[in-house]
Amino acid sequence: MSAVLFFIAAIGAITGAVGVVMLRNPFYSVLALVGHLISLAALFLLLRAEFVAAAQVVVYAGAVMVLYVFVVAYVGGADEPLHSPGGALRALAPLFALAVAVELCIALLGTGLTAINSRGAHYVFGFGTPRQIGQEFLTTFLFPFEVASLLLLMSAVGAVVLARRRRGLEGTDEFEDRFAAVPRPAFTGTMAEGAGIRGGAGTTSRPAAQERPLGVSSGDPR
Amino acid sequence: MTLTAAVDYFEPWWVQLVKALLIFGVIFAVLPMIIIYERKLLGRFQGRYGPNRVGPYGLMQPLAEIVKFAVKEPFRPTTSVGFLYRVAPMVAILTAVASLALIPYGDVQHIFGQKVGLYGIDVSVGPLYVFAFGGISFYGIMLGGWASGSKYAFLGAMRGAAQLISYEVSQGLALVGVLITAGTLSVTGIVHAQAGMWYFIPQFAGFLIFMTASFAETNRAPFDLVEADSEIVGYFTEYGGTAFVAYLFAEYTNMIVVSGLATTLFLGGWLLPFGIHPPGWVDPFVVLAKMFLVLTFFIWVRATLPRLRYDQLMSFGWKILLPLATLNLLVTAVLVVR
Repeated sequence: MSAVLFFIAAIGAITGAVGVVMLRNPFYSVLALVGHLISLAALFLLLRAEFVAAAQVVVYAGAVMVLYVFVVAYVGGADEPLHSPGGALRALAPLFALAVAVELCIALLGTGLTAINSRGAHYVFGFGTPRQIGQEFLTTFLFPFEVASLLLLMSAVGAVVLARRRRGLEGTDEFEDRFAAVPRPAFTGTMAEGAGIRGGAGTTSRPAAQERPLGVSSGDPR
Repeated sequence: MTLTAAVDYFEPWWVQLVKALLIFGVIFAVLPMIIIYERKLLGRFQGRYGPNRVGPYGLMQPLAEIVKFAVKEPFRPTTSVGFLYRVAPMVAILTAVASLALIPYGDVQHIFGQKVGLYGIDVSVGPLYVFAFGGISFYGIMLGGWASGSKYAFLGAMRGAAQLISYEVSQGLALVGVLITAGTLSVTGIVHAQAGMWYFIPQFAGFLIFMTASFAETNRAPFDLVEADSEIVGYFTEYGGTAFVAYLFAEYTNMIVVSGLATTLFLGGWLLPFGIHPPGWVDPFVVLAKMFLVLTFFIWVRATLPRLRYDQLMSFGWKILLPLATLNLLVTAVLVVR
């Protein structure tokens, strides 16, 4: 049973990985990567690493890839398949691919492939549970854990700083500023018209937001 | 290969199969009841009768609607991507139904000399299981909107997906307070840890944040602008007939999952107050009754609160709910460690 599941998950993982690089449409590539990550989570589950599997799905498939999907869906539509690279890149690409393949072969064969014939480690009750992983993080691997969290914090702060520099976060009442001042033709059903405050043919009625006295408005210094 | 590594007993495969079918069957049968209950109750809130034509007291209304949806012509827009257009509602249903497995309806019971846990699964990762499927359910919405090949559906999907991932963060953080108070991730363990006091009292802020985020997660009022009548765009704009019902079904199932989670994590699961210990077969009914109360609360809020604008929705999620959830987590952690 576990062998069948292993092969299903392994085939899913490899197909997904191949799909990422082979598919022309970037949206399908991202979807293939999602399939690949979910297959990897299934493989983790077969290894009894439940927490790693759940984290894989929550963090990668559920959060990181979500941003990829957002960006690709907005920017690269289905109509614009990726262009093939030309010239030097096309000539160099096989060389680099070959180098990576040789490296992988050296790494794989360097192990002597001794693990294939062994039965693998025994399952200890509680292995792969959040409790055990948490204990390891806070005792054996405390330093790498803290360094990694510091790195994440730095990148989070950096992202906010970069977004702010482009004036993305300034102007709190952006919505009101943009839409409230638009002149509105008469008889478009504003509440002021309904109450008879303004209206009638020919008058250019404006929404109430414009007629507020200065200083009472939203508190924006501009 | 089962997901029950945290359980110290073994269930044969047929018990697991029966449990899976039973949970699915009961929830599937309860869904139309929830729909008619919601419409009746909404009617009463708004000073009208609600549906009252089909069957006695209009109780057969959901049946009539299902027939109506089922006999509609299955169409798809010419600009849509056929395969993904069909797969997307399935993803939505699959993730919603899979999440159902986590809700515990009772402790381990002896049934016909067999130890049976009255829950689908009790994984060591606990609520993370639901969040994993919640993460995948994003693709149900996103693919549905994208594959429809319509700008309105696409924009609706973007809004819906953004809302989903924004409030998922607060929802998760609100749960962590419960988890560190209970000291376990197992859902049955969390219920047992509430024997002295249900967690909605010590974790009241967490409970409020969780419920608020859950309203947004399940696209319920006041955060229902993904699908509200007055908003013309939604990710299922181009869907009709059974595919549309699939989305509707997933949505109500998600509602049940969330009310089950709230029952389990905050309202004491199958425990009763005042030290009442009924026999084991009562437990599932206690859980269902509590879930029913939470669902009633969902409907009540829908009838009471006005809908938020989209920018208000986003700034509420990120600028108010998330800091509150973080603060709640911090205070809980300090109090527990002390």
